[in-house]
Amino acid sequence: MQQMDRRWVYLMVGISVIIPFLLPMTLPVSITPEARMLYDFVEALPDSSTVMLVFDYYPSTIAECEPMTIAAMHHFFRKDCRVITLSNIPLGGPTMAEAVTRAIAEEYGKVYGVDFVNLGYKANYVAVLSGMGQSIESIFPTDNSGTPLSQLPLMHSVVNYEQIAFIFEVADNATADYWVSIVNAGYGVPMGCGTTAVSAPKYYAFVDAGQFVGLLGGMKGAAEYEQLINRQGDAMVGMGAQSLVHLLIIALVIIGNLGFFVGGIGKRRRIG
Amino acid sequence: MSGIELLQIWIMAFLTLALLSFLYKDNPAYKLAEHIFAGLSAGYYVGLIWDTVIVQQLWEPLIAGKVLLIIPGVLGILMFGRFSQQYSWISRVSLAFVMGTTSGIFLVTQLHGLVLAQMRSTMRSMAGADGFADLMLSLVIVIGVIATLIYFYFSKEHKGILGGTAKVGVWFIMIAFGAHFGYTVMGRVSLLIGRVQFLIQDWIGSFNQII
Repeated sequence: MQQMDRRWVYLMVGISVIIPFLLPMTLPVSITPEARMLYDFVEALPDSSTVMLVFDYYPSTIAECEPMTIAAMHHFFRKDCRVITLSNIPLGGPTMAEAVTRAIAEEYGKVYGVDFVNLGYKANYVAVLSGMGQSIESIFPTDNSGTPLSQLPLMHSVVNYEQIAFIFEVADNATADYWVSIVNAGYGVPMGCGTTAVSAPKYYAFVDAGQFVGLLGGMKGAAEYEQLINRQGDAMVGMGAQSLVHLLIIALVIIGNLGFFVGGIGKRRRIG
Repeated sequence: MSGIELLQIWIMAFLTLALLSFLYKDNPAYKLAEHIFAGLSAGYYVGLIWDTVIVQQLWEPLIAGKVLLIIPGVLGILMFGRFSQQYSWISRVSLAFVMGTTSGIFLVTQLHGLVLAQMRSTMRSMAGADGFADLMLSLVIVIGVIATLIYFYFSKEHKGILGGTAKVGVWFIMIAFGAHFGYTVMGRVSLLIGRVQFLIQDWIGSFNQII
């Protein structure tokens, strides 16, 4: 068992991921209180509130993070919220924000500059987050495509965080810490967070402390939000494969441990 | 689907398969994909910083009359002193500025926004408990925080009550590692699912466009 080529494990994992796409299986997804709290908070926002959706993730974690931004965008537009997107990630952040918002806005008949704006990216997130507390325009003089903010009707009524009702930070790195410490603690703006599974355990403490109104952890969190807004997306589709691979990994851990102990006992007997 | 979109999908599929091929063994296709990624990332990043920082936040406001921006501009230029052995000391002026402002900002924000908020939450967790089960969970949090902090207290040998509490702390740390590991597995599997989803739905789905 211990001599097994690890590529067999890769093959088994690969097959377990592929099977649910060829033979679709719908497994129930239970809703965690953290996802429910996030949904309820957005649901309770007054219609036409101005919210921020932050694309702080790299393209490498699209599978986990993009379903969250897509689901959140649908929820915001259903509530007629005005959405400002931005990113602290240079590689792909603004482009992903553009792709997600434009596609969904078209579905809801939303107009760029009036109902949503993509501010794009600026370097040095600490300066960006602090500076927007004074004036968003001083940090982002133009939007992602170079249009001055003064020419965008949505931005006429938005000066700084005071006009922002809610910030939803979707991140695959530690930028969520800075949003909490600089923006939530410094300016009191309510925040929710969607994060990769790797980071999720750390951020549950932020929910308990009331610093986040709710939390989505990894693909499972995204699937929960998709279920809450009643719209099946990539996360719910991927959960079948996720469950199957988890079962495989549990089986491999058990078999591996059995092999280790049985092999060890055998060795000890031979030595004795 | 336009021809360009089709081409994009095929390039993405090739690069995905090239990178996954490393799981079998290292090979030229993997190396090619790796180098393309490194080169493209560096080029894109330089272009983006040039446009969003140098042009939009320094050059354009400067020629519009904001002369004080000369100061950060000069500090930025001084950083290039590091390329010369003789003048590398010049960059220390800019670095001192960066370190001073960063530590000033971080000290306040991290303490106010993270440390104090988490401490307050831990202290209040038992007082605000809703029912017996919630009280027990809050107790677990309080014991976990104290025991873990004691484990990281190294000024006294871990013996007696201190040693026993530190051992409890180790258990909490191990449980936290387990939770992190479980979530990490889920995260890594999700990334693979994303790629497989792309290959099956987009790439294989594009075959009928070609045939």
